[in-house]
Parts: sequence; structure tokens; C-alpha cells
Amino acid sequence: MRKLAKLAAVAMAVMVTPAMAEDFPSRNIDLIFPWTPNASMAANQILAEAVGEELGVAIPVISTPGAAGTKAYMTAMGRPADGYTIMDAWVAPLVLQPVLGKADWTYKDAVPLHAGVSNAFSIGIKSGDERFSNLQELMEYGKAHPGELRYSSGSRNNLPHMVIARVLQSYGVVAQNIPFGSDADAFQNLKSGEIDFSYVNVNNWQQDQDAVDVVLVMSDLDESREAYGGAPNFNDFDRDFGLSGLASMGWDWWVVSPDVPQEKVDVLRKAMAAAVTSDETKEKIRALGYVPLPWDYDQYHEIVGPVQEQLGKMAEALAWEQEQLKKLN
Amino acid sequence: MLPDTLGAGLALLTPLALGFTALGVFFGLIIGALPGLGPLMGIILMLPLAITLPPVAAMGFLIAIFVGGSCGGSVSAVMLGIPGTPLSAATLFDGRPMAQKGRAADAIGIAISASALGGMLGGLVLIFFAPKLAGVASRFAPPEYAALAITGLLAIVVVSEGSLLKGLMSGAIGLIIATIGTDSFTTGYRFTFGNYNLLDGFNLVAIVVGLFAIPEMLVEIRQGGLTDRPTVEPVRPGFRGLMLTLRNWGNLLRSSAIGSFFGVLPGAGGVISSFTAYAVAKTIAPKNAGYGEGAEGGVVATESANNSTVGGTLVPSLALGVPGDASSAVLIGALLILGYFPGPQLFVQSPDVVSGIFLVYFFSNIALLVIGIAATPLFVWVLRLRKAYLIPTILLLCVLGTFALQASLFDVGAMLGFGLLGIILRAGGYPLAPLVIGVINSVGLAGL
Repeated sequence: MRKLAKLAAVAMAVMVTPAMAEDFPSRNIDLIFPWTPNASMAANQILAEAVGEELGVAIPVISTPGAAGTKAYMTAMGRPADGYTIMDAWVAPLVLQPVLGKADWTYKDAVPLHAGVSNAFSIGIKSGDERFSNLQELMEYGKAHPGELRYSSGSRNNLPHMVIARVLQSYGVVAQNIPFGSDADAFQNLKSGEIDFSYVNVNNWQQDQDAVDVVLVMSDLDESREAYGGAPNFNDFDRDFGLSGLASMGWDWWVVSPDVPQEKVDVLRKAMAAAVTSDETKEKIRALGYVPLPWDYDQYHEIVGPVQEQLGKMAEALAWEQEQLKKLN
Repeated sequence: MLPDTLGAGLALLTPLALGFTALGVFFGLIIGALPGLGPLMGIILMLPLAITLPPVAAMGFLIAIFVGGSCGGSVSAVMLGIPGTPLSAATLFDGRPMAQKGRAADAIGIAISASALGGMLGGLVLIFFAPKLAGVASRFAPPEYAALAITGLLAIVVVSEGSLLKGLMSGAIGLIIATIGTDSFTTGYRFTFGNYNLLDGFNLVAIVVGLFAIPEMLVEIRQGGLTDRPTVEPVRPGFRGLMLTLRNWGNLLRSSAIGSFFGVLPGAGGVISSFTAYAVAKTIAPKNAGYGEGAEGGVVATESANNSTVGGTLVPSLALGVPGDASSAVLIGALLILGYFPGPQLFVQSPDVVSGIFLVYFFSNIALLVIGIAATPLFVWVLRLRKAYLIPTILLLCVLGTFALQASLFDVGAMLGFGLLGIILRAGGYPLAPLVIGVINSVGLAGL
């Protein structure tokens, strides 16, 4: 009798599984977005539209901000692993927060669907600044005036701060980071001359290109350089910043919980790959100044793995900056 | 420069753009009136549809939802004693007492008229002074925001009915609640007690809906008569509300100016502006004006202020690319998807689109006046439902509306928790509005 029951259960499972895959998805899929609404949300809204069309369901983007994306990550991973929740995993919740010891997962704990988009960070100076007009001159000025230059990355200790600290460390320049509530505030203060240089994201720059000169696009992707009107990027300097690949910029992958059944993951992967590689979607994303990322799920570990190590180095650069400023005071 | 290009924008004001703007107002009014939902939710829901439209029609549709949604919350505030959105929390002060005195139609008429006129005044500010005001806003730094927040907290003194001490204590509870979450400057966690749901603090919608809706429903239940059919006079559409609003023209101009000012400052928003406008109106009015007991001026002040804030909010959004609040952040996102970068260059490169957006904003306020007034009998009809049907429906809407914010059951639990807090505070004679004032002003204070 027990054997018969087992046989029936196996038969049921065999009958049910293909049906589940065929029926999936039968309702909306939530994309948990880790920030307040912004341009990155718009970029992912374009992706969500395209993936939703492939799947035949809507993918509403749900803004769930808090603790640099940590809340969104925990929310998404805490939802039932039924394939109806996708996490829009940006570098901060996926890799940075674990590196900083603020999250107890690693990027290996998530199952990737496909890489999403990237918005390269950059360093900008006020147009017409008489003291410096390019990165070399800015760094020379900074070296000659230790601790005097004031810059901002929006809030302190975020990824742009870490990247800039790493660049400054590579030149041996000590500067003060002035915190602002948002990177947009920092951009405004750069334009008004309150600070000497600043982290500039591509949307801020595109809004007022004449006001700010981008002296370094912190990326080695040529497309990122194009987004900033051909400004110099890492490849244009005869110097190893120790920031290659994706480490130095904002980027995301769409991921799901490791408990989502494989057949559902396959359906989602296929749809996202088709959407991201569609010329129409890529064109729309590029129009925002973002770079569509080409990597499929099987390149996830190869691409994201080195980022963790480089972020560790950037965290060391932050500590170096603090120590040098203390010495000067 | 801008008025010169209005002609070019006029060409983009197609029947499609006007039609979607009118539709957006209607949808916004409905979604704003439902407790928990609001303009932000409406804009997000309709974004996929909007981005398939031509730019001015798309932005008109979304801006109209913003305009209608900012006003819709006043309908439930007046009729049910529950602000549909936090924007209408201050409208409770006089809107609800007016309804309780049998003047629901007047209260709604004033709310809609004041919203539309306030919105138009905010539109004039937008059209004629956008680039200049954006320059002023960009010079506001944390010290200025902190000063504004302290000024905002002074409103507690004005809106506290009964004991001032209890009002201040209620405001202090609000400030304490706002400390929960992640510190934006140090990224340290405050009072999260290891619960990841608290990493961004409590959602303002969950706070406001819970705080006001649950105690109000309890009061209604305790009053009994659950199965009685209320006798409410049928209301015909009319512009009486507009006349009553225009009678308070000084208040209207002042409150709209306050709303536009707060709108221009990124991060200030309509909730702060409506409380501030109310506090100023009450302070200036003669003592026998009856503020807090159903004064028409109270509704004029709050509703004109929060809708003129919408026009103000579009100033930094379009001229600097800096969103004033979450709703305008989504509007900026829509503009980006449509292929336009907000900022000074937008005014140079696409003046026709900018002018078109200004004009649809203006038109959305005219549509609000007409559609809102025409729909007033429909809103008042709801009052004729038996409490036995009305109360469970409202509670269900509160739960659904709060859940829809982030598809989070935690938010629903928080809403119910704040409902319990509201019941306790009301029973102890502690006013609830100061608590909301404490929460919303905490953002500026964090800049100290």
C-alpha cells in the first residue's frame, strides 16, 4: 500500500511539473527595485516592459528603498520562491554591503537571470575652473594642497566615495569628502563652486553638460565613455587604478532566490536574455545614458567575482583617506 | 523666454493630449480618494501606458494623475474623516467638521475649487519663474532645510486642540518614530531591532492611514446605527464651492504662494506645505472664524497649498532634474524614457515640449475644477451607504491601499499598529496631527 502511494505521488509529480512550467507565469511578476524612484528605475522599467512582453505578463517595478538596497534584497529573498519575485540586484546590496559587513550573504547566494544595465560614475569639475582643466592637473593641484580640495559623493561611504578614494589614493592625493543628502545636491554644489570636484552620474551630467567638465569616466567600457560625450575613461591613462570590469560603477543583475524551481528559472532567463539583447531595448536604454550589459547568467561568477576583491581594496582606500585627513588635522 | 515659446507648446496640445489629461484627472481623483493609494501609486500604475503616448500627451496624463490624486484625498478626508493620502491630513481639521454639520458638498466643492485654483497659481509660478526659482532652490542647503523644519514644527502649537503640552508630546512621538531606519549620512541603523522591514523606517502612508482611519472607524462603530440608512440630501453639481473659495481670495493667494514655495524646494513637499498654510491661515484669521470647527478658510488653505505644491515641484524637476518628491521622481523617469533629459538644456533644446508640459499642467487644473465639481454628487452618494457596508469596505481599502505601497504585509501590520496608537492617543486627548507634523519635518532636521 505504501509503495502504491509513493508510486502515485511520483506519477503526480511527473504530471504536475511540466504543467507548472507551461503555466508559468500566469500572473504579474514583481521586480523589487532597491532605491527610491530615479533614472535607474526608469532604465529597469524599460527592461521590465520588454521582459514582460516576452513572458506575456506585466512586471511592475516596486521601489523598496532602505539601507543601501539591503531591505529590498531581504524582501525579495524572503518572498515565496515561486518565480514571481525578481530582485533588481545592484552592486550595493549584492556585493558591497556584504563586503562592508552589513549583510550576511554573498553574490553566490543568488541565482542570476541576466546582467541588466550599468551607469558609469565619473569625476567632474566646474567648467572654466582656472586651477585645473583635466584629471592630471586636478591631481597635481591636490598633491600641492593636501587636504584642501573638497569633493562630494553625495552621502559618505557609498560606492562613488569608495571609487573616488581609490583613484585619489593611486595619486597620493588627500581631499575632504563633504556629505550631501543626495548626489544631485552634490552636483548642484559643484556647479555653484561650493566644492572643487564631485562624483557625477550620467543623468546629472546630461541635464547640464555645459556646466561641468567630466575629467574621468570611472569605467573601462567604451560605451560608458560615449555616454559622457567621449570623456576620458580608465583606458586613457597610463596608470593601473586597480578598478577594472564592473567594480567602479553602478550596475545590476536580475536575480532570484536559489529555491526557485529550475524550470521557472529557465523560463525567466530565456525571456530576459531575449529582452536585453533586443536592439530596440538596447537603444532605449542607451538613450537614457545607461549601458545595456551583454552578459548571460553563465558569466555571472566570472564577472561579479573580481568585483568583490576590488571593493575590498576600495574599502581600504576609504580607511586610508580617513587616516591621512587625521594626520593633517 | 518661456512665455515666448508657449505658442509652440500650444501646437502640442492635441485632442489626444487633452483627452488623456482629463482622463488622468478623473483617475487621480478616484485613486487619491481611496485610503492608502495616492498620486504616486496612480502614476506608477499608469506609467507603462503613458510611455506609449506622444511626449506631451504622456506627461499630461501623468501630471494630471498627480494633480487629481493630490486633491482626491480631500474627498475621503471630508466624507469619512480619513485622509486618502497624507497630503490631505490637514484638510481633516475643518473639512470633516463641515461634513458633520451637513455641509459635505460645500466642503468637497471648496476642496476641489481651492485645489484647482491653487494648482493654477502654482502653474503661473512654473511658467514665468521656473529657471529663476530653480536657481534659488539649488542654493538651499542642510542648514536652510533644518531652519524650515523647525519652523514647520511650530505649526504644532497652532494645530494642537486642547492641551498644548499634549500636542507637543504627540509631535515628539512623531519625531521619535522618524528616527527609525537607516541614517542617510552615516548609513548606520537606528532602532531597527534587527528587523529588515524597518531599514527604511515606517512608510508615511501606513502612519497616516492607520492613525486616522482605524480610530475613526472605531468611533463610528461605537456610535451605533450600523444598519440605519443615513438620510443625505441629494447634491446637484454646481459651482457654489468655487464662489465660497473665491470669497477667501486672500487666503487662497497666500496659501498657494506657500505651497509653490515648498514645492520649489526639493524634498519639502505637499504635506508640509498644507500644514504650514493651515497654521498661517488660522493664526491670521480672527478668533471667531471657527478654525477647527468647520471653517471654509481651513479647507481653502490646505487644499490650495498642497495642489500649488505640484506646480512648484515641477520647477526643480524640469529645470534642474532634481525631483521634489517621489511622484515627481517618477515623472522625471517617464520624461527620460520618452527621450528628454530634464535640466537647463531641456529648456534650450526642447522649449516646445517644456511649454506643452506647462500647458497640460495648467489644463489639468481646469479639468480638475470641471470634473471634480461634476463628480461631487457621486462622492456624496457614498455617504448614503449603511455603516455596516461602509466600515468593512473602508477597512478593506485601507489594507489593500497600504499593501499596494510595496506589496508588503509588514506595512499592513504597521498601519494597524498605528491604528492602535491612534486609538490610545485619541482616548487620552492627544491630537494626532502633531504626530504627522513631527514625522514629516524630521527629514529637514536630519540636516542639522
